[in-house]
Amino acid sequence: MKFRTKDQDGAKPYIDYSLIFITLFLVAFGLVMVYSTSSYDASMSVLTNNDPAYYLKKQAAASVFGFVLMAVFGIIPYNTWEKVSGMAYAVSAILILLVLTPLGYEANGARRWLRLGISIQPAEIAKLAMIIFVAGLICKLKDDINTRKGMIIVLAPPALICLLVWQITDNLSSAIIIFGISFVMLFIASRDYKKFAIFAAAAAALAALLVYAITKAAGSNKFGFRGDRVLAWLDPEAYASGKGFQTLQALYAIGSGGIFGKGLGQSIQKQGFLPEAQNDMIFSVICEELGLFGGISIVLLFALLLWRLMIIATNATDLYGALLVVGVMAHISIQVVLNIAVVTNTVPNTGISLPFISYGGSSIMFLLIEIGLVNSVARKIRF
Amino acid sequence: MKSEKRVKRVRRIRVDNGLNKDMQAKLVILFILVLLAFVGLGIKLFTITRDNGERYKKQVLSQQKYNSIVLPYKRGDILDCKGSKLATSEKVYNMIVDAKVMLSKEESLEATMDALRTAFPGLDIAAIRKHVTENPSSQYYIVKKQLTYDEISPFLEMDNNNEDYPDIAGVWFENEYKRIYPNNTLASDVLGFTVRGEGGQYGLEQYYNDVLEGINGREYGYLNEDETLERTTIPATDGYNIVTTIDANIQQIVEKYLYQFNEENKNAARDGNGANNLGCIIMDVDTGDVLAMASYPNFDLNNPRDTSRLIGMKKSELNGTIPYDAVVLTESNIEEELADEEIKNANLANLWKNFCISNTYEPGSTYKPFTVACGLESGKLTGEEFYTCNGALQVSTHNIKCHNYKKGGCGTLSVKGAVENSCNVSFMLMGRQIGSKTFLEYQSKYNFGLKTNIDLYGEARTDSLIFTGDTMGETELATSTFGQGFNVTMIQMVTGFCSLINGGYYYEPHMVSKITASDGSVVKNITPRVLKQTISEQTSSEIVDYCIGVVEEGTGKEARPAGYMIGGKTGTAEMVPRDRTNYLLSFMGFAPADNPQIAIYVVVDRPNSWVQDNVGFARKLCRQILTEVLPYMNIYMTEELTEKEEAELAELNIAIKRADVIDDEEAADEAQATPEVDENGNIDAHGGDVTSSNHVTDEEMQSDDVELAPLTGNVLNVETGEPVKEGADEVPY
Repeated sequence: MKFRTKDQDGAKPYIDYSLIFITLFLVAFGLVMVYSTSSYDASMSVLTNNDPAYYLKKQAAASVFGFVLMAVFGIIPYNTWEKVSGMAYAVSAILILLVLTPLGYEANGARRWLRLGISIQPAEIAKLAMIIFVAGLICKLKDDINTRKGMIIVLAPPALICLLVWQITDNLSSAIIIFGISFVMLFIASRDYKKFAIFAAAAAALAALLVYAITKAAGSNKFGFRGDRVLAWLDPEAYASGKGFQTLQALYAIGSGGIFGKGLGQSIQKQGFLPEAQNDMIFSVICEELGLFGGISIVLLFALLLWRLMIIATNATDLYGALLVVGVMAHISIQVVLNIAVVTNTVPNTGISLPFISYGGSSIMFLLIEIGLVNSVARKIRF
Repeated sequence: MKSEKRVKRVRRIRVDNGLNKDMQAKLVILFILVLLAFVGLGIKLFTITRDNGERYKKQVLSQQKYNSIVLPYKRGDILDCKGSKLATSEKVYNMIVDAKVMLSKEESLEATMDALRTAFPGLDIAAIRKHVTENPSSQYYIVKKQLTYDEISPFLEMDNNNEDYPDIAGVWFENEYKRIYPNNTLASDVLGFTVRGEGGQYGLEQYYNDVLEGINGREYGYLNEDETLERTTIPATDGYNIVTTIDANIQQIVEKYLYQFNEENKNAARDGNGANNLGCIIMDVDTGDVLAMASYPNFDLNNPRDTSRLIGMKKSELNGTIPYDAVVLTESNIEEELADEEIKNANLANLWKNFCISNTYEPGSTYKPFTVACGLESGKLTGEEFYTCNGALQVSTHNIKCHNYKKGGCGTLSVKGAVENSCNVSFMLMGRQIGSKTFLEYQSKYNFGLKTNIDLYGEARTDSLIFTGDTMGETELATSTFGQGFNVTMIQMVTGFCSLINGGYYYEPHMVSKITASDGSVVKNITPRVLKQTISEQTSSEIVDYCIGVVEEGTGKEARPAGYMIGGKTGTAEMVPRDRTNYLLSFMGFAPADNPQIAIYVVVDRPNSWVQDNVGFARKLCRQILTEVLPYMNIYMTEELTEKEEAELAELNIAIKRADVIDDEEAADEAQATPEVDENGNIDAHGGDVTSSNHVTDEEMQSDDVELAPLTGNVLNVETGEPVKEGADEVPY
């Protein structure tokens, strides 16, 4: 209410309470599940000072900070970002390159983090930067995006960032998400269907070909650990003690939960069997503790969230705002779908966290910033 | 819809407006695609639960750790009567390597290997590294067993020091107990040993196995009613300790002289030990407590399978018997002779068994006090008889010789004289007076043919090794009077002898006086138990008198230790084959003479000597042992010491303790403590009732004069000089 005067037309700004409520609920539910999944491991490990609430505390701090950022980004007019969209791209590229300097550090066997006062994953920044940048680019190119050249111009810069993320931080899944976001944004803006359908079909065919090649070359180690993951995906029980272990344990967790689960906090699998239970595999513990009912409820909440985003995008007052929201929607959809697909062994195992719920400070902060952007877009809507 | 599309085919992008209709349609398509993906994943979730739910549920439960960890109990200690440990269990540590944990951090492997190399010099680090790298998921690999706390503490310090050694991981220690015998060979036959710390073998370890053993504790996981895993700990219950009647110091003295005997006599006439067997028991005559029980050869309880202990023994057959002409095991032949594992085990079993309770033999002349006591008690002898020995006696078809045969016999002897001179002819004549029925009746009263039920594993049965009314003819009776023809065990002899000396009370011999819990509380007190009265107190005092005579005047002179008077009887038993080359020498005595407190029985089984029938072997051993044991027991010397004896005591560092050093005042105090005497002359030593036994003669009943034995506080009968039995109320009849 305080900020009403700032609106040019003096009308009451629109605040999507459903969106904010769903976001709050998902974050709060995430904290509960992070505590449930991590307390056993944290209490057993010296690395966490045997503090069962170790992960909860870190996640709660990041969430609080994230809500502050969400409010700030909600107030800042989103058009500001259109002006700096080129800079956003440059900054994200530089941050990724910084991982190679001594500022970057390694954790859990991968060099993906930057120590900038707080530790941050540049890949998470890149996702936000790419939403801001691609939306700006499309608004600049306007109808040119419908040409083949225009499509290449829109997709080339994100592809470069994806390459950096993949090669420098060895994080293929984030690269796929970044490209996926850009692709979806272009798809919405573009008049074309055919090219996208062909592109998607080609990607699917390529993936199928790759899987076929990997199964042919099984045992040769030609495709590295990713090849092994594909093999484990096809037959997790054959790789039960190796690459298939995590997937199989996740399936055990889901299957053993039944319809209503073992009850909150009652997971057996989180007690040393399911690696990264508080992280990428948190959805399987949700299914184990709260059952099919709990798992599907969370999926429905995400559907509700995406519906709200769709409504805001549809009613956005200008194209840039609408594309920002589309980018956020794409980001969340891709992560939710891929995460649950990994947990249910629908796709090969790749490290993708469940938005708002999985443990991870960078992830939650940037997701909340994105919701802030959406709020900022929503403020302009006049029903 | 279709027409609208056609009209707006070239709808342009306008940035100042929101999404145009095309874009909105695409957004809806996108949303629907995402919803379809959600539905697909929902179906996948549902099918996983439906198709594999039960299987996965079991899978989840089956990968839980229900494995239980055994928390070992501590086997009880075996203590001597003064509380020093004869056997104990020490906590030891097995080093376990958990490869999975060790490899969980990159730096851990090397850091841990370095720490192990520093803390355990001599440990095969390469083998551990090989195991860890080859079995990266193994979590339980025993590297080394039974390390002491001192051995592992340097490593524990490093492990706990997270500043200097942050990366040590994957090594832990599991507890167990190791049975330790601090004195190695001391009382080896009595104690017995354990196999891998449990399951007692031989001796007290086997007899009291149930008492010494505790119950293992357990830590285990189980599913509670909500199907969640819980872990529970049931602590171990430690075994009970047993306090024996053995006095480790007396035991040590005894074993020292048995060992010395062996050293002096080994390889003398043939290869091998100083005697086939040496045995010695010292018993409290008034309780049946065994103060020392030892035999030689002995073995190291901490290493019972050490075959080097067999060297010098004669090789036994598979069934444990040792033939007359068995080969002697020597350093050079032992490996070859014991190549067969079963033969080796039979020989070890022979080493482990307790000669004092497990071997039977003909006792010889040490049985003579039993014969006399039988005659006097039954009234067949009066004690006033005289016998004439011409060197031999014709019994049935045999001409049985006395040991003085070559000197023309012992001449005319009183009963006491016959005992003192150990005259076989006199005893055969006594046997004729006693008769086989009475003889056997008393033999069974003395418990021969029956087990003594001493609380040790492996007491031999002798029921088929004595004569019965059917098998005892004239000759058998004649030889039995001087202890030939039937078999006994050492424990039977010494226990029976105690009853001859202590007034006729036959105590059950026992080794354990108390059972205590690990916290020190007493679980059970085992008090002396009188089983029966074998002879009357008067007969007992006669036997004491005769036995003192043996040492004062007769064959036992050399058994007397410096400064003391003792009573006793020698024995030279001929063994099978009866070719007059194999003898078992023995001396059975009590000390001190005026107030018998202990009985001692020494047996030398076939000494390693050209001439075996020399009872001096046993007498000397007895003298040596008593010379140290009696001063240790604070018994005052009563006899004059010769210069030679004084020098001997000085050499042994034994102070001369004499009765006359006590001052008069103290003696007077003790005199006032004279117990009350009732009108029957019974003594009320404890303020309780003392009933007289049937066997107490009228004469003794009428005695009204009681005096204190000097210095001991025991009540003596004025006439006999013998202690009046305190435990008379315990006699069951």
